[in-house]
Amino acid sequence: MGRVTPAAMRTATDAGFIVCRSCGTLSDRADTACTVCGATVRSLSRDGLQAVWAYWLAGVLAYIPGNVLPIMVTQSLSGVTESTIMGGVITLLHHGSYGIAAVIFIASIGVPVAKFIVIAWLALSIQHGWSIDPHRQHRAHQAIELIGRWSMIDVFVVAALAALIQIGGLMSITPGVGVNAFAMSVVLTMFSAMSLDARLIWMPTDDHTRTSNDP
Amino acid sequence: MTERSEKLRALNERYVACRSCDALWLRPTLEAGQRARCPRCHDVVVTNKTRGIERTTALMLASLFVYVVAIAFPFMRMERAGLSNEISVIDAVAVLWQNGMAVLAVVTALLILLFPVTRVVMILLLHAALNRNFGYRRQQAVLLRVGQTVEPWAMADIFMIGVIVSLVKVGSLARIEVGPAFWAMSALIVFMAMGSSATCRDTVWDALRRQL
Repeated sequence: MGRVTPAAMRTATDAGFIVCRSCGTLSDRADTACTVCGATVRSLSRDGLQAVWAYWLAGVLAYIPGNVLPIMVTQSLSGVTESTIMGGVITLLHHGSYGIAAVIFIASIGVPVAKFIVIAWLALSIQHGWSIDPHRQHRAHQAIELIGRWSMIDVFVVAALAALIQIGGLMSITPGVGVNAFAMSVVLTMFSAMSLDARLIWMPTDDHTRTSNDP
Repeated sequence: MTERSEKLRALNERYVACRSCDALWLRPTLEAGQRARCPRCHDVVVTNKTRGIERTTALMLASLFVYVVAIAFPFMRMERAGLSNEISVIDAVAVLWQNGMAVLAVVTALLILLFPVTRVVMILLLHAALNRNFGYRRQQAVLLRVGQTVEPWAMADIFMIGVIVSLVKVGSLARIEVGPAFWAMSALIVFMAMGSSATCRDTVWDALRRQL
């Protein structure tokens, strides 16, 4: 590169070292086991975004059947009813449980959709070197890592109901096929967010150097 | 001791890099209870929590105790038209399995039973070993690494919110009572959260790095 700027001198990568993401140890060799914790030390590279996109796409694809197919089948004396995630939210609204309806809607629809958008936005901006305030991107990344796991709520609601409501012919609840797809989608998007290395947000791109973080 | 590991140890004593943005800093000296933030991305770079080892040991021990209660005692009981059904958390998973919902049964068992207990046991063993200044640093490093890897996958907290939602959903259909395991599970998520925030990972990694 040959270009020495104050910003370029300050990262571990520029000094020729790699930080272990698991234990924070500085190492001098990439793609080897960390001498302290044993995790593989990976150098900072945009190639890692391939994994982010692969998990992202699989997560989006699994999210579709997760929402279209029923997640819960209720058998009672009055017959069999199948309900989807959105159907469950609407039923709760009809019963006047607005708070619970909001929890399910946010966890099952709001959070996953927001995650898909934020991960795609971060990955695209890293790939194309869009100049966006890195602090904003960093906060967005931390937020999706923190709230992403909460999308599992609806899966556990179905599991709890299916386990509890088993009273012979009187009434029983079984999970629908949609719940497997939905759980898969949550797991895949968690992997996608975890594979996105936050350090890439701060890495200067070749065609533009972020200066907002220079003191 | 090889020349390379001596060099790396000296390097790590002198510098610390931000895990979030890769910025390289001179390692700060922290007093007990202090933490240093990265001037570039504002994330916490190093912490030095007060009595981290003792507090983590106590809270993880408490977690393990309530975990045993949570799986051994009845969790919930429902009653409708004279028929009743009482389940423990393990029954809940078994019922799913027996009714042909193998995938959901395995996912639930991993997320609410296996991963939480893995995290608690790993972190407890590690801190008990640190407390007594036990050897086996290499094994301790593995304990901490596994313990922090399973952290986002230990979903006992999310499960409890799911259970509360399901209670609201069927509250009108059947009479539901919660058992001792319900309260134990609630205590578990509180102790685990407190234990996680008491743990000073950086101090432990630094200590292991010096002694390996």
